Amino acid sequence: MTTTAPLSPSLSRPGLAAELRALWVIFKREWLIFRRYPSWIVALFIWPVIFPTAYIFSARALAGPDGGGLALFTQAAGTPDFIGYIAVGTTVWMWQNVTLWTIGLALRNEQTRGTLESNWLSPTWRFSFLMGAALVQGLQLAIFILVAGIEFWLLYGVRFHGHPLLILLVFLAAVPAIYGLGIAFASLVITSKEANNFVFLVRGLVMIFCGITFPVSVMPGWMQAIAAWLPPTYAIHGIRNASLNGADLAALLPDLIPLTVFGLGWLAIGYLAFVWMERRARQTGAIGQY
Amino acid sequence: MQTLSHPTPLSHARALWAITWKDWKHFWRYPLNVASYIFQPLVWLVPVYFMGQVFSVDGEARGFAGYSGSGDYMSFILLGTALNNFIFAVFWGMGYALKNDMDTGVLEANWLLPIPRLLLLVGHTFTNLITTALTSAAMLAIGALLFGFAPSGSVWPAVLTLLPMLIGLYGFGFAFAALVMILREANTLVDVSSFLVQIFSGANFPVTALPRWLLPLALALPLTYGFDAVRGWLLNTRTLLPLGVEAALLVAFMAVMLALGVGAFRALERRVRQLGTLGQH
Repeated sequence: MTTTAPLSPSLSRPGLAAELRALWVIFKREWLIFRRYPSWIVALFIWPVIFPTAYIFSARALAGPDGGGLALFTQAAGTPDFIGYIAVGTTVWMWQNVTLWTIGLALRNEQTRGTLESNWLSPTWRFSFLMGAALVQGLQLAIFILVAGIEFWLLYGVRFHGHPLLILLVFLAAVPAIYGLGIAFASLVITSKEANNFVFLVRGLVMIFCGITFPVSVMPGWMQAIAAWLPPTYAIHGIRNASLNGADLAALLPDLIPLTVFGLGWLAIGYLAFVWMERRARQTGAIGQY
Repeated sequence: MQTLSHPTPLSHARALWAITWKDWKHFWRYPLNVASYIFQPLVWLVPVYFMGQVFSVDGEARGFAGYSGSGDYMSFILLGTALNNFIFAVFWGMGYALKNDMDTGVLEANWLLPIPRLLLLVGHTFTNLITTALTSAAMLAIGALLFGFAPSGSVWPAVLTLLPMLIGLYGFGFAFAALVMILREANTLVDVSSFLVQIFSGANFPVTALPRWLLPLALALPLTYGFDAVRGWLLNTRTLLPLGVEAALLVAFMAVMLALGVGAFRALERRVRQLGTLGQH
């Protein structure tokens, strides 16, 4: 007489604990893959220093050998610390860029590796696959920002005057918008099967309009109007205000409020895009194609 | 077949043509990439353009003129960006193409071909150089419309100066490609090294603006003199050394880098064969 093993409750009726276990496993897998490539870890330490360098030295050149142009910059930007000003702008840009490449391509990478279909057949909430990638990326980002802050302080002599909790608050307020865009992006990429040019487009918009190295007020009116619709504009302005000018909570509200509103909007768009993509994939049966 | 058992210069030329033609077809198969090659450098220049406006009075960056001898910072940077595209073409053309071959699993098969392996690498740069010339010309034309680009000097001496620099870069490229074979990961390596070379050779700003302790690094890079001389010819900027001296330095750089690059490639490639890791990625 043969006996069949009882079906694991978490497989037949996945509960919250089972979903959390699945999320933990996805997190561990993504972390393992990240650690497998030492150059990715090295990149976390190198990019914060070298990416802003070209802009910082360009600004030095524009200021002139006697620093004569600096008065013009101070007048427009509200701070003479052009290095800190650029460092903050480029850090937010790198954050958005890395989010697009990691979360935005999380599903696409599974698709090209050929594991997406089999993973989606597991009795797991499919959104967990993106959440797992987002959690690992969040951890990487925390390391990245910490390293960036220390490197800016040590190598470029940037001094952050603001309250650390207020700086953290602006970063946290920017999280939903930046990650929501990444999640929406992941669904778009997996549907269109094209990633690079979409990344270039989105990060290009941030680079052109969000004032990563200059005050937005320098741009023509129509460009300022576009900048007002992009959450990184507020993130950059808010973090600069909090860290370089020592702004208090009241002064940060004009940045925190739109960031929160945009964040909720982008998270909703990201989730809806995922649901739409998931249904479309099942209808067309094209999820495994790339 | 005679060309397989006894490869001749003609069969090598045919192999080069086959690689170039294959890369050419790949390039045009993705038309969006063409637009990306033209517009991406321009996108990177927008923050510099507006930053320059902040430092300028009536559109002239007087501080910048103190370093370069010209207040037209956008022409300076646009030209540097176009030249930098060629540096990228050699870096990417060899190191990255090798990584692509690894990933797609054709590297081992290609390595068994009866053609010199350096020829495989050189072949990968031909299409890249042609397309870089086309996309850089388009970028300069659009950049001229958006930001203004006003070369006022001589074109041909600038082109002649560029040639030894580009040929010398092949030496860099050979050594670099071998490093990619050993490390089996190209992206970070290519991105970081290209970026550092771009910064310290003065693609975006006059190297004299670097802090005093970093300046020797820039002056030790032969590419610095390439950028400087081409700008000197085309934009009449103030050069680090007399133009003739810079040209002689570039010719010497070409000879030394080719010899070093070929030597490094042969040594590292032999090591990869000994380790048996050619097919791994």
